[in-house]
Amino acid sequence: MTRSVAPQRRKGPAPDHGDDERTAARDYTLPAIIPASEPPPHPSRASLLGLGWFVFFVANVQTGFGPFISVYLTSAAWTQVDIGIVLSIGSLVALLGQMPGGAIVDAVRSERLVAAIAVTLIGVSALMFAVWPIYVAVLGASVLHAAASCVLGPAMAAITLGLVGHAGMSERLGRNARFAAIGNGIAAAAMGACGYWLSNRAVFFVTAVLMVPALGALAFIRPGEIDPERAHGGQPERPPQRPLSSLQHPGRWRPLLIFSASFMLFQLANAAMLPLMGSVLTMRSSRWASVLIAACIVVPQLLVALISPWVGRRAQLVGRRPLLLLGFAVLPIRGVLFAVIHDPNILVIAQLLDGVSGAVFGVLVPLVVADVTRRTGHFNLALGIAGTAIGLGATLSTTLAGYVSDHYGSQTAFIILAAIAAAGLASIWTLMPETRPDDDRPPAAAEASPQSS
Amino acid sequence: MHGHSRWTAALVAAVFIAAMAHPASARSHHRASRANQVNPATQPAQVPASGMRSNDELSRRVSEVADAGKTGLTLTLGIHDAEAILGKSVHSSTGEDMGRLVDVVVDTDGRPRAAIIDFGGFLGVGSRKIAVDWSALRFVPNDPKGNVITVALTRDQVKAAPEFKEGSPVVALGAQLGAQASPPAPPATPPPAAPPQAREK
Repeated sequence: MTRSVAPQRRKGPAPDHGDDERTAARDYTLPAIIPASEPPPHPSRASLLGLGWFVFFVANVQTGFGPFISVYLTSAAWTQVDIGIVLSIGSLVALLGQMPGGAIVDAVRSERLVAAIAVTLIGVSALMFAVWPIYVAVLGASVLHAAASCVLGPAMAAITLGLVGHAGMSERLGRNARFAAIGNGIAAAAMGACGYWLSNRAVFFVTAVLMVPALGALAFIRPGEIDPERAHGGQPERPPQRPLSSLQHPGRWRPLLIFSASFMLFQLANAAMLPLMGSVLTMRSSRWASVLIAACIVVPQLLVALISPWVGRRAQLVGRRPLLLLGFAVLPIRGVLFAVIHDPNILVIAQLLDGVSGAVFGVLVPLVVADVTRRTGHFNLALGIAGTAIGLGATLSTTLAGYVSDHYGSQTAFIILAAIAAAGLASIWTLMPETRPDDDRPPAAAEASPQSS
Repeated sequence: MHGHSRWTAALVAAVFIAAMAHPASARSHHRASRANQVNPATQPAQVPASGMRSNDELSRRVSEVADAGKTGLTLTLGIHDAEAILGKSVHSSTGEDMGRLVDVVVDTDGRPRAAIIDFGGFLGVGSRKIAVDWSALRFVPNDPKGNVITVALTRDQVKAAPEFKEGSPVVALGAQLGAQASPPAPPATPPPAAPPQAREK
């Protein structure tokens, strides 16, 4: 794709706009643009550790709010209709709240405070689930959780960017993804054990209690090291005439749109794959089905934990596109494998591929959005736009897969999901530009600090 | 799943009927001796079981309920006579965990025909809703061992059952177990001898 986009800003890095990135972006790569007033950030070890553990405990807390809610409400004598209504309202709020949540985070000056409030609200909603499994309270808790999550996700990304800046973002996101994956894996295993040995209700009490170490970890992050300008993608050089005008440059919104649409296809294919495969496992293996499904949830997380720092480093060294292609390429393969493999144990091995795309997903989504929103001040809003698209894909995925599998069998459903994943791969392959700015290339990565003006 | 308020009402009613109409009194379990539950119903009142000290309050409430409902009729079922079953765990006769009872399917006469069990899965992932013939279920209200609902099927027998979908014919497993006792099968119920074919067709 050869789009030579006229430079919008005289100084500073701009995202690349195509395969001819060398010609398109050469003008921006002069070292002279590094402003002397803003040294590259050197966040303290305490802050980075605090961030890691915060991500870990948030992953812990969020694991309880997945499909497990329906298990819990079922055991609390809820009808399936009511459970469906509550879950649907929750996911609708989660979907519609993405962009407002991002805009809120963009607007605030203390990302730490916002994150603390969001985590506290999620803890409160877990407590409401545990204490009052009655309709009004659960509906309220569900909406509260969804709304708080819409703010918490962007807030964590903003804290990361505010701490390390664009140059350090890739590697730090890799580490964040590792902490999140370990948190998810441990929480899923622990909650399974908790639900089995104690009670389903205990899971939500544990979830609520985990809010405390999350807040503790957050307290380790030194607020002075989070630059609020940097956290939102840096300020535009000229004050914008209209709101969002800094995002309206085609060099920004085009990649964002392509990226969001591709990841919508990704989630449309991905979200239903594990549940559908779990259902197949339940059908084929009676005694070990639950254990195998548990393995399908936990083991890929271990793989994500293993490889996501590598993904973060590679994204900085070789660029975003090769890793995006890798993450998108394994998904159709996984779909086809699920369609053709019948042995339950080998299905679990195929599920390991989920770890590869999971690591790419966890690192590259915030990274690419940070790339295209440099110097806009709208990093989190853009993250919300991508999040809306991704959430839409995930929501439609289960509906689509459920419909196809009811009418044409699960094999057909897997093939269709694989085809959608292939479409996502094709759109990344043909349309998505490399978004790593030239000044982030390896030799320059150490000293370049492209944020700020 | 939405927009089935009629279903909800019908199913809640079905659960009630199931809880109350089950012939628990014919079973060998001892009658309630400590506390009774009060349920307004359209059947003749039973005198609460004797030997309850704190029962004055209960009796008063019984009569209040009776006054409130103009019929003046209530039914009292002991805790070992009846119990609500929605959301209760279902076990196989060998003690395997079969999931939870999430719905009751009734026929046009209001008789319970099948129970929907949410079977298998881990943390809600990969579970399947399957229908089990009502006659294959045994109930022990407030069983001290916790096995309130027992189904005369094993995990192996139900794992390949077609998934229950509202608006589709109900394929109930285990219908042969109580074939004599149960009313004639509706056309929707296929021959139950072999485990029904998997949904991949």
